[in-house]
Amino acid sequence: MKQENQRTAFCTIITALVMTITPCLRAETESSQEYKVKAAFLYNFINFVDWPKEKMGEPNEPILLGIIGKDPFANAFEPVKNKQIKNRKVVVKRLKSVAELKKLGPSAEDELARLIDAAKKCHLVFVCSSEQECLKDILSPLKDLPILTVADTKDFLQAGGIVNFVMIDNKVRFEISDAAAKLARLKLRSQLLRLAAKVVK
Amino acid sequence: MSLMQNMAIRHKLIGITMLTCVASLTLAGAAFIAWEWRSLRAYAARDLSIQAEMVAENCRASVAFEDAEDAKRVLVAMHVEPSILFAGIYTKNGDEFASYYAGHADLSIQPPRIHGDGYSFADGRLTVFKRILLDGEIIGTVSMCSDLAPIHRTLMRTIRITGAVLLFAVLIAYIVSSRLQKVISEPILKLADVAKEVSEEEDYSHRAVKRCNDEVGLLIDAFNKMLEQIQKRDWELVQAKTELETRVRQRTSELSSANSRLEDEIRIRKEIQAKQHQILAKLQIANKDLSDFAYIVSHDLKAPLRGIKTLTEWIIADYADKIDDQGREQMNLLSNRVDRMHNLIEGILQYSRVGRVKEDLAVVDLNEAVAEVVDLIAPPGNISITTDNELPTITCEPTRIRQVFQNLLSNAVKYMDKPQGKISIACVEDDDYWKFSVTDNGPGIEEKYFEKIFQMFQTLSARDEFESTGVGLTVVKKIVEMYGGKIWVQSVPGEGSTFLFIFPKQETEAINAQRQTYTAC
Repeated sequence: MKQENQRTAFCTIITALVMTITPCLRAETESSQEYKVKAAFLYNFINFVDWPKEKMGEPNEPILLGIIGKDPFANAFEPVKNKQIKNRKVVVKRLKSVAELKKLGPSAEDELARLIDAAKKCHLVFVCSSEQECLKDILSPLKDLPILTVADTKDFLQAGGIVNFVMIDNKVRFEISDAAAKLARLKLRSQLLRLAAKVVK
Repeated sequence: MSLMQNMAIRHKLIGITMLTCVASLTLAGAAFIAWEWRSLRAYAARDLSIQAEMVAENCRASVAFEDAEDAKRVLVAMHVEPSILFAGIYTKNGDEFASYYAGHADLSIQPPRIHGDGYSFADGRLTVFKRILLDGEIIGTVSMCSDLAPIHRTLMRTIRITGAVLLFAVLIAYIVSSRLQKVISEPILKLADVAKEVSEEEDYSHRAVKRCNDEVGLLIDAFNKMLEQIQKRDWELVQAKTELETRVRQRTSELSSANSRLEDEIRIRKEIQAKQHQILAKLQIANKDLSDFAYIVSHDLKAPLRGIKTLTEWIIADYADKIDDQGREQMNLLSNRVDRMHNLIEGILQYSRVGRVKEDLAVVDLNEAVAEVVDLIAPPGNISITTDNELPTITCEPTRIRQVFQNLLSNAVKYMDKPQGKISIACVEDDDYWKFSVTDNGPGIEEKYFEKIFQMFQTLSARDEFESTGVGLTVVKKIVEMYGGKIWVQSVPGEGSTFLFIFPKQETEAINAQRQTYTAC
């Protein structure tokens, strides 16, 4: 009994300390924490999504994760950087913002085309919230390709995206467009679908 | 085992069967129960492991995407299995991700939060651990805990059923063994009955009936054979006994007849003995009368004889010139006859004195005694008397033993017919007597006279030739026999003769007794 009391007391002290310290840290790392989770989720998606065989190529070819737009992840990929999924390396490729390129006008069209080509090579493309205005431009060339498009932008699914992060009760959850996935010839595992906050048929 | 020693064979057989049956069934039952216990636990562990595996599989995405609600939904599905007390999912850091309790949240059920795959039995519960893997990476742990009560119930049911089966089997075994034991016990019991009848009635004509060819059959054969032999022996024994009885009867009758014969004989002998005693008594009286008569007569005869002798001498002396030669010769003859008569009377006196007059016993050295006797006899120069060996010293009446030697030696001297006379005395000692011998080289005696010479007044030569009374040897014989001895003679006519006598070695008292008896006779 005595020991238990001591333990309870100890736990209370620790909790109090954490409570007083965390708010200060939180302000600084909030977005980072959220994107760490999202980064981990992106990695996890690879496990629950099956790409067509021809897309996967040779067994030693890495899985490409493209990030289009203004990168909000910062160092969120650091913890999972060396992680192998499905026996393949995951390479994060940061691509330029389509929205910014479009602002540049016709002069950037070549670059835009190269960006889209680069995106086409990826297995998974994360469209940053900075691209909200030009989702169509990004998604239309990719929609019938076996590329898992992920974003945390409103109306992403309506635009033809497959997975969209949403915040529910301060937790990162996601919505899935089954139709888009089918169009992209991607097989989403039932468990993934089960976990989805919303599935658009 | 010693408990079984005194049981009836029937009970022994049943007992052995039952013991064997119960032991083997109990062992089998125990093994079965143990196996069942093990299997039940293994099945339970496997079932729960499978369920945990399924939960792990199902919750992989939930854990990966940190969707505790979803995991919780999966876990709640466990309520269909009431034995599952607890199911929990923990993150790889050990934090509780989702949990399910069958009843209220009993935290004491909670197993360790980080654990490898496996299961453990403790506190009546089975706990299973299963890691949740995502692409080879551990992302969490499922642990499930189930109550073992159903297993225990199943086990108890198995034990009850096994027990019931065992009881039933024992009952069946009892019934079967009770019936089957007869196969073995019945022949033995029958045999025992026969044996009992035989021993109680002592009738060996009984036979046991053989029904089987096993060891008991052999036993029955042997038993019957034994009975046969006993019967034969018994019969022979009875025969022998009858024969023996007959023989005994025969012998008894023989014996009794012999006995009666003997009794008759004894009676006759007794009668004879009585008669003999009477005769002996008469004889003793007669003998004593005779002895007294002889003494008195001879004593009384001596006096007138002495007168006659004196008168004769007087006549010869006084009338020498008046009597012619013929008269003188006749007078001398008369004197001689008177002398002879005197000698005869003297001899009779001597004889009658032996045994009548008692002398004190004394230790006599015979060497000295014989020397004195020889001196007294004074043998002529041509006759030598020698002693062959040392003579013994004996206890006797000195005068009597001297008389013996005197009479024997004087006889030898008197009848010596050889120019060189040799007389030798010898003694041989035996265990209980001395044997003396007096040997001479005189005329010898013919064998027909060997008895006669010891009779009174018997002389072998004419009285004129040797002046002899015929009493000497008779006296010797009487003295020797008085001492319990014996005298006899060995002789070769013309060469000499040997007088031998035995003188028993006796103590003074014995001699006195001997003399007493002799005198009485």
